[in-house]
Amino acid sequence: MTVKGGTSQACAACKYQRRKCSADCQLARYFPPDNPRMFQNAHKLFGVSNILRILKNLDPKKEEEAMRTIIYESKVRDRYPVHGCYGIIVELHCKINQAELELEAVNAQLNFYRQQQHHQMSQSSPPPNHSPPHLQLGNTSPINALPLFQQHPHQSYNDMASGINQQHNSLSNGSNGVVYNRNPEYVESKEGIVNSFWVPCNNSLATQPQFIATQAFPIQQVPEAPQDYDEMPVFFDTADDRQSYIESKDAYESSPESSLKDTKQPIEQVAENELKSAAAFFTLTSVN
Amino acid sequence: MPPRARVVDHPCAACRTLRRRCGLDCILAPYFPLEDLESFMVVHRIFGASNVIKMLQEVEESKREDAVKSMVYEARARLQDPIYGSAGAIFHLQRHVQDLLLQLQLTRATIMDFQDQRDQLLSTLMGPQHLDQPSSMTNNDGVLGHGSDDILLDDSTLGYNLIEFPVDCELWQL
Repeated sequence: MTVKGGTSQACAACKYQRRKCSADCQLARYFPPDNPRMFQNAHKLFGVSNILRILKNLDPKKEEEAMRTIIYESKVRDRYPVHGCYGIIVELHCKINQAELELEAVNAQLNFYRQQQHHQMSQSSPPPNHSPPHLQLGNTSPINALPLFQQHPHQSYNDMASGINQQHNSLSNGSNGVVYNRNPEYVESKEGIVNSFWVPCNNSLATQPQFIATQAFPIQQVPEAPQDYDEMPVFFDTADDRQSYIESKDAYESSPESSLKDTKQPIEQVAENELKSAAAFFTLTSVN
Repeated sequence: MPPRARVVDHPCAACRTLRRRCGLDCILAPYFPLEDLESFMVVHRIFGASNVIKMLQEVEESKREDAVKSMVYEARARLQDPIYGSAGAIFHLQRHVQDLLLQLQLTRATIMDFQDQRDQLLSTLMGPQHLDQPSSMTNNDGVLGHGSDDILLDDSTLGYNLIEFPVDCELWQL
């Protein structure tokens, strides 16, 4: 079978149908004569007329994409005559579920390690709240005040939480922001189809990673944002020496400087005064 | 689930759509009941009744119901998305699986770093004899550790070999 007016071979489609392959044969470019099996699969599943009908309603630019998927589906159906593409979809859903479970468990383990590391770090540096504030105020130099403030555990806890949140966001939204359907949406309306067609996963969910059962995750209490007001006076005591505050004059007068003079002042009153001066500091100065 | 027993007097959805007499030996009748006209119409529109019949004849009777369900699914997918059909869903899911595998790898690598740090610290403090045994907590194989290419070609075992799409698809450029 030859092309009219030429010596080139007819395409696989025309060869199979035993007809002349014209120059404007729509299927010629997709079904080369050296691969008859490809056309046979497509013909078996869709049929020539159905393929042409699908292509007829499409934008010519999308024709090639559509043909590729048609050939792909036919190939899958040839290989798996019972389940075809749907079987692959169900299997992929199973694998995704299992991978997400595994990722959850691994993230939990990572969280445990991070908490452990944080706990070790906090234990290695002596907590400043154990020493009386009035003694701290007098002895702490300006150089030491800033590092004490920066080493506050609240900061590292936020980093941990944001990392975990990013993991969850990426799982739910997909890496490119595409929302993946958890269930084959085309059969959701037909319960009978879903129930009768449920394909058991090759690896059952019962065989979860073993470290879930064997490992106990101790709950570490992470100290939250500064309830330790005693620490703040150390910082702002040194700042008060450099600046003056209009609104907090009273607080300034009753600042730690005065507590140095009168050591009999109760610790709680000192802490409250320091809190007021600290609040004033934040309102009047800008954070750079 | 065995197919329902058909009522002889009423034609099946296939014969009703094709306007032909529904005999007792109608191969489509058990799988396209009259109450579900829409399923057959979709399958007939995309694949054609004759193709469906030929494919059912090649499959064991016990598996025909599953075959019909999958054909209905694929036909609906193709109707909703004439360009990509059900292959589009496969591409999305494959991409998702790859993303999850990557995340698992990265997370496991981070855990290994933590374990190495801990081991180094222990060896510094207490000497090498106090190092832990290789941890069984990180399951490096995992569920997907061997990759997703299970080469099981038999439909009955429901395994599959991911058939590589022959050319690049626009979906990968999402």
